[in-house]
Amino acid sequence: MQGFIRCDDCACLVKIVDQLSTCPRCDSHLHARHPHSLQRTTAFLFGSIFLYIPANIFPIMIFSQFGSGEPNTIAGGIIELIDGGMLPIGLVVLVASILVPSCKLIGISLLLLRVHFRWQSNARRWTVLYRIIAFVGRWSMLDIFMLSILANLVDFGSIQIIAGPAATAFAAVVILTMFAAKNFDPRLLWDNQQNL
Amino acid sequence: MNSTHYDACPECDLLLRYARPKIGEKAHCPRCGFLLSRPHNQSIKRTFALSIAGLIMFFPANLLPMVGLKVLGNVNSGILMSGVIALFNEGMVAVAVVVFLASILFPLVHIGLSLLISGHLYFNRPNRYLISWMRWRHHLDEWVMLEVYLLSIIVACVKLMSLAPLSFGLGLYAFVALIIITTMLTAGVDNALFWQRIDQLNKGNNH
Repeated sequence: MQGFIRCDDCACLVKIVDQLSTCPRCDSHLHARHPHSLQRTTAFLFGSIFLYIPANIFPIMIFSQFGSGEPNTIAGGIIELIDGGMLPIGLVVLVASILVPSCKLIGISLLLLRVHFRWQSNARRWTVLYRIIAFVGRWSMLDIFMLSILANLVDFGSIQIIAGPAATAFAAVVILTMFAAKNFDPRLLWDNQQNL
Repeated sequence: MNSTHYDACPECDLLLRYARPKIGEKAHCPRCGFLLSRPHNQSIKRTFALSIAGLIMFFPANLLPMVGLKVLGNVNSGILMSGVIALFNEGMVAVAVVVFLASILFPLVHIGLSLLISGHLYFNRPNRYLISWMRWRHHLDEWVMLEVYLLSIIVACVKLMSLAPLSFGLGLYAFVALIIITTMLTAGVDNALFWQRIDQLNKGNNH
């Protein structure tokens, strides 16, 4: 603020003049803050919370052997890995496909609540939370990519791995939370700091 | 006050006096700690070279088999695209599209745009599309997920190890090389410098 707007796309600082709505350098729309940041983030957040339920209760992949299928949920696949003695890889999948999405949903909710209720607390710490959420989101795609590799490799007629209905829901959760994080404007965290 | 002498932190909007760090140094926002800039030596030349290398490496990484699975004498080997097709054939169209975009199309477009931008800057050719290429590249950045794909190859291999013997093809090595190149590419781009040069080029053209 302070009479300037920073262009989101090309980072140039533009002096606020009347009727100036596009950046003189890159022609993108100028906004002091992301437009409707809280509303959009909330919408994406609710969408992903809603889809998070089918993503976890339906099977993400079905291991079918001679006609009989063995459905596997996200949690089931991790338990199988850990039971099979592959603890480190099991933990990687646990972090990427259970801890990261659920912590992200909680984290984004907390960020929204902080801005909405103007909680007075260390804004720097909240910015760090935002940065972690924004960085970590894409790693949840791990499960989806793995599914595409497994569905392709394990296909021997009688033995095959088929993607389950949870796959679409889970991919949607990951993408919606990425959109939620993208639409959240961290500068809002600093706007309602009264002192400091 | 001239706006070019000032800069604002993108994450906390603190108004800062514009200062360009020396090569090899970093500038952090004093209030929120955001990494403002980290100039690299010869950013344009470097981006140009790396995007050519990336474009060359893209083809073996996508066309040569990466991982193969041997069951009863049959070898099933996979490339990036065959995973997408497998999902598509199972009726998971949406998931197939997401995998295709994040692991094939977006990386290709990202490298292609980097090549176009740095090529124009390197040879001092003004182009009115430079601005939109820069914006597209900026928005694509986060959706290029090659390194996530590599991690999922590792996890998939561990899962399959107990099922059948695996074979690793040249495509996998090319894929790892592609990831190293794209990571260096994204890290080496100096946006402030690029925009400044584009400004100069396009202004020079108008006179």
